[in-house]
Amino acid sequence: MTLVQQSSATSGGSGSGNLYDVLELILDRGLVIDAFVRVSLVGIEILKIDVRVVVASVDTYLRFAEACNRLDLESGRKAPTQLTDIVGDMTESGAKGKSKGALSGAVEAISDTLHRKSEDSEEEPSRRAARSSTSSRSSAKREE
Amino acid sequence: MSTYVYAITGADHPLRLDDLQGVGDPPSPLRAVTSGPVAAVVSDAPPGLRAKRRDVVAHESVLEALMADGATLPMRFGLLGPDDERVAEVLGRDAPAYQERLTELDGHVEYHLKAARDEKDMLLEIMEGSEQARELNRRTRTDPGAHDERIALGELVAREVAARGEAQAEETTKRLSPAAARLSRSEAGATHFLNVSFLVPTASTDSFLKAVREEAERLGEGYNFTLTGPLPPYSFV
Repeated sequence: MTLVQQSSATSGGSGSGNLYDVLELILDRGLVIDAFVRVSLVGIEILKIDVRVVVASVDTYLRFAEACNRLDLESGRKAPTQLTDIVGDMTESGAKGKSKGALSGAVEAISDTLHRKSEDSEEEPSRRAARSSTSSRSSAKREE
Repeated sequence: MSTYVYAITGADHPLRLDDLQGVGDPPSPLRAVTSGPVAAVVSDAPPGLRAKRRDVVAHESVLEALMADGATLPMRFGLLGPDDERVAEVLGRDAPAYQERLTELDGHVEYHLKAARDEKDMLLEIMEGSEQARELNRRTRTDPGAHDERIALGELVAREVAARGEAQAEETTKRLSPAAARLSRSEAGATHFLNVSFLVPTASTDSFLKAVREEAERLGEGYNFTLTGPLPPYSFV
């Protein structure tokens, strides 16, 4: 297993590299006062789309089927418990790199966009969701 | 010029604002608007403010600094009052409610946990458990024209992935909840099976971290946990 423990969105050697993991908290939770207005979050649609719609799509089915076809069934699964690997104070990239797969396509693209943009603090941290990674990437490009 | 609101604290909070930088470029200096027992930490709102990375980080940094000195109700990013007078007015009107929430959250922090399952590991587990999946896998591997079987395989697997993810999310949440005061789950998204925030008393942070570590160890290889905190209690205000 991997446990990445990160102190906060703003500290750590990578500057604000952990921001992605708490972006939805900062932008979508926290206290609001009804009488006041909020700045526009145009271009930053928090992942409120129904994930089930993405999961239950032919695209997803085909990606899963391909992923299954590629499996090496002979070698079997990893042993349930092996050496513990606790990594302290790392950025999220360590964890993200391991969880790529058929399902992660769409969100991966969003994450890419965010990380790419994060290099330039003038840009907005965008989180655009789309039904597939292809259309997500293209919509991300249009935003730039 | 409108007033950007960062947080609400007790009026007795130290409110050391001099070294903090607010949103905008150049960063706006912070000030406190006090109304009876509560205070709002605010700054001028820069014209054309949007959720730029720098500004989101500034918002978060201000909250973390305030949180370190005492109970703090974090506002959602981007909240604008018309001016300081109106902020004070709203603050005064709801002061008892804010005070109550500050008391509740005093000495608590938020930890945010995202957990993911290695996909290959999960697919192997599904294959192991389903003769039907193995059969469909055999047929689609050897027959490029088996489109319907391919869809059927994908659908079966997608259903299993969702069901297993949800069951695991329930299990992990159940195991961790005794170590926290409250928790708030939200839609996990496509990359994770669990997306949950815990409200943890600062005094028992160590035992909470221990519980998370033990759960990650129990699940073993093939699972990735990302734990972020301590954070302002965004999910519990």
